[in-house]
Amino acid sequence: MGLIPDFKQIATRSPWIYRINAGSCNGCDVEMATTALIPRYDIERLGCQYCGSPKHADIVLISGPLTVRVKDAVLRMYEEIPDPKVTVAVGVCPISGGIFRESYAVLAPIDQYIPIDVNVPGCPPRPQAIIAGVAKAIAIWRERL
Amino acid sequence: MSNQIAILLAVLLFPGGVFALAFGLAMKGVDRRVAARLQSRVGPPLLQPFFDIIKLGFKRTMVPAAANQTVFLYTPLVGVVSMLIAAALVPITSVYAPDPAIGNLLVLLYLLMIPGIVLMIAGSASGSPYGAIGFSREMALMIAYEGPLVLIAAAVAIRTGVGMGGWATFSLNDIVAYQQAHGSFLFDPVMWPAVAAFCFFYPANLGIVPFDIPEAETEVLEGPLLEYSGPVLALFKIMSALKKVVVLSLGIALFFPAAPANIAAGFLVWLIKMAVLMLVGITAVRLSMGRMRIDQAFVFFLKWPLLLAVASLAVVVVV
Repeated sequence: MGLIPDFKQIATRSPWIYRINAGSCNGCDVEMATTALIPRYDIERLGCQYCGSPKHADIVLISGPLTVRVKDAVLRMYEEIPDPKVTVAVGVCPISGGIFRESYAVLAPIDQYIPIDVNVPGCPPRPQAIIAGVAKAIAIWRERL
Repeated sequence: MSNQIAILLAVLLFPGGVFALAFGLAMKGVDRRVAARLQSRVGPPLLQPFFDIIKLGFKRTMVPAAANQTVFLYTPLVGVVSMLIAAALVPITSVYAPDPAIGNLLVLLYLLMIPGIVLMIAGSASGSPYGAIGFSREMALMIAYEGPLVLIAAAVAIRTGVGMGGWATFSLNDIVAYQQAHGSFLFDPVMWPAVAAFCFFYPANLGIVPFDIPEAETEVLEGPLLEYSGPVLALFKIMSALKKVVVLSLGIALFFPAAPANIAAGFLVWLIKMAVLMLVGITAVRLSMGRMRIDQAFVFFLKWPLLLAVASLAVVVVV
């Protein structure tokens, strides 16, 4: 630390989160959007804040198996997020397609198109797991700043 | 010359500049923490808004292809500077009195409009449809709340001016001095409509929940701020932090400046008043209400605050 505060260290205490739904069934989204914010888990104590615009985001949570129809929109959205950014794939769908894996409309695994830094498997994952994933993402983000 | 240096110091150090920025961000931190505690959450650290600003400094700024680059990047600067100057205009009883050359209520009214206009310009310059929606909502809201504000200011000015044996005085120093001598307007029944109208005005001016319609996250994705990222977004956050200090401090100066003559005690009293105003007027309101629609807010403002402001002006003129 020393006399001059370590600004990078301080900066990692303010990760803003953006959710992308890449064709998810909404199960993971409910876990991300509501459960992680309720008093019992409270992701805000890590300094996290859900933001409405991808341009404000630092950590991206992607859920869903990436359907053919949303692929272009998801890629565009991903590019709108300013660097440095970290991607967290939430749920089993981004990894393998989950229960949708044999569908013709699904392009999973998602890391063919977007670099994924942290995987949080589960259908849906428990909120503790999502928060652990976000904490891991913050550690990765610190190195990228 | 020493005059100009004093003004410059007031703009850059205290009560504008460094102090107002730190104080505004700290208020935001307390607001978020208290809000979390009221919802029985742990909440973010008290210094969270400072972390946010530092973080935004590390991010890249992206300019959309559809945006007008110059306007897009430099308008927030105008907003920040206007708020820095505005912060140096508001007196703090027995701690700070603005230079008579600048400490004028009318100047302050104009400066207070600038952040809204900056948001409008920023929203329309970003070339995003959400920005455009935010622009039109901000404009409607401004039309709704600026009227009552002007009438409130006129009521205070006339009340003070008549009390001092003239017609109307817009000098903020005189307004504070008059109330120090004759009792605060908050305890003057003639001024109660104006106080009530001000209570409706400032949540709208600060964009707090019942009236945060232009920046509604869930509808228009923060509207004018949608396309901003990195340090430029930090400028907007700084602008709103400064504005919070200016508007709350103005409310104190206009209606309840009573404080002991001692500098330290006066400052302490000011801090307590700011804290109460913020916790009751911002945090509690923000948590207990939902967002209005723009048409509802517009009609609401043209009904109640305008009526109250007109009533207060009429009462002040007659009495």
